[in-house]
Formats: sequence, structure tokens, C-alpha cells
Amino acid sequence: MALMITCPVCGPRNGYEFRYGGEDKGPRPAQRELSPGDWFQYVHANDCADGIQKEWWVHRDGCGVWFTTYRDTTVNREVPPPEEDA
Amino acid sequence: MTTETKSAIRRVSPVCFAAAPGESEDRDGWQVVTRYENEGEEGPWLVDLSHRPRWDVQDGHVDALRPGGVSVPQEAGQCRLQDGLLINRMNRTQAAVWHLAGATDGMPAEAAYTDVGEATLMLALFGPQTLRICEKLSALDLAGLQRRPPFLVQGPLAHVPCQIVVAQRNSGDFGGGILWTCSRGYGRSMVHAVLDAGREFGLRPAGEQRFTDWLPSLSSD
Ligand SMILES: [Zn+2]
Repeated sequence: MALMITCPVCGPRNGYEFRYGGEDKGPRPAQRELSPGDWFQYVHANDCADGIQKEWWVHRDGCGVWFTTYRDTTVNREVPPPEEDA
Repeated sequence: MTTETKSAIRRVSPVCFAAAPGESEDRDGWQVVTRYENEGEEGPWLVDLSHRPRWDVQDGHVDALRPGGVSVPQEAGQCRLQDGLLINRMNRTQAAVWHLAGATDGMPAEAAYTDVGEATLMLALFGPQTLRICEKLSALDLAGLQRRPPFLVQGPLAHVPCQIVVAQRNSGDFGGGILWTCSRGYGRSMVHAVLDAGREFGLRPAGEQRFTDWLPSLSSD
């Protein structure tokens, strides 16, 4: 089965309507006293989770909204948020 | 109703039908076909509305704006039709304003407004079997039985990202009507795909008059 993604505006849709926006790494780190190393980690380093990962998507061919959702990377399926984040 | 005006600017619709125009008029620089030969009397029909004014409205408090004196719907996916003016709520910060009746007092000067009339094309498909034609063109739930027209669906039609308004759904058969916009570069292939899908149902290109006659039958607020 093809990947389905749930847009908060439009509901569940074919994954091909969306563009992947990378792992959710939390808020942008404060600029003051930010080391190049920490900035590099934030921008370029990924966890590449083997399992459930929180990530950004944009409904590119639909309403245009950016949002986060959870995906099990081992089966490439959207999954409900883990209990600690629900 | 729009009056016939001459304009120095010549505007060209991205939509072109391989049908013989019966009557046409120059309106604000657009050559508008009001009737084609051999439109048939029953429908379904495909009408080019690319000359109708369209605005994009984007603001952190888009609910507070009243384009053309009409309030913006509260929730994304909702539409409001009033006096020939259709407003589609797209997301938290954005709405689209389509002047279906043609008339406009000019776009408000606020920064929230952008004239997108020449960035997109607009088409109307309506009459018997319309929803059957839609089912061949898109996997989106345009029948939307749990929703009351007019409502907005944003997604691919003929694989092209579109803003689609289901304007009418007849109970008991597959008739109804949809209106949609997409980037104007898709004009030729969009028309080709829709007419091809509609051939078995007798779909024909029609002039603006068919749309003008149909518009008052849409339920509005
Ligand atoms: Zn969406």
C-alpha cells in the first residue's frame, strides 16, 4: 500500500501530494553564543531513527500547510503519536 | 451583470476549446465567448471562466477581513457564496476570492490582497453526470456526501494541484457542478484531459452564458 499522510486541514491523503521536510529537531537554537558545531548538528545531523520518528511534511499539492507527524521508518507508514507526545 | 468595455490591454485566456464560437464579446481586454456552436441542450458543459477576477487573501487575521463585504469562512475547507462572490478558506492564514458574477469594485489596497487572476485559470464543469466525470479525473472525494456544497477541496485533479469547489450536488444522480483553478500553464492539457474523460457522458465546451444561467441555482448564504 502506498504511503498515506494525514494533513491537519485536508485529512488523510495520498503521500505523493506531500513533500518531506526532514526530521523534527525542535525549536531553532538561540543565536547568542551558538557554536558552529552546535549549528552544524542542528542543520545537518539527523538521527535516522530505526522506528518511529517525528518529522515535518508540507501539503504541497493541497492546502500548503506545514505540519509534523509520526512515521515508522521501518515500514514507511504514518503512525499515531507515541503516548508521551499525544 | 458585466457591461461591455474596451481596454487597451489585451488578455489571453490559457484555455482554448476546439469548438466554433457562436457569439463573443470584448470585455476588459478579454475575448469572452458567450456561446459556442453545438453546445447541446442537456449538458454536461465545460466553461472557461479565466477572465473572472480572482484574489488571494493572506493575513494572520484573515477572518477579520471582509472581501467585497462578505465575511471569510471560519474553517479551512469551508466556502461562502454571496451575491455571486465566492470565498474559499484555504488554511489558517489564507483565503481565495472568486468573483463568479464578474463584477468587482476593484481590489482593496491592503497588503493582504494579491490579484491572481492572471496566474491561474478557472474552469466550471456542471450538469448531468458531472461527478462521474470527476471520478475519472481525481481520487479526491468530490462527491463528499457528508459535506454540504459549496465546499473546498485542495488537491490534484488530472494530476495537477488545484483548488476545487464542489458547488452543487444533485441528490439521487451524479449531476452537479464543480469550479476549479490551477496554474495557467496547465490550460491545454487540463482541457484535453477533462474533455477526454467527459466524452462518454456527452461533455461539451460551452460559452459563458451557460454558466451565467446556472449560477443562480447554486445555494448561497
Ligand atoms: Zn492539506
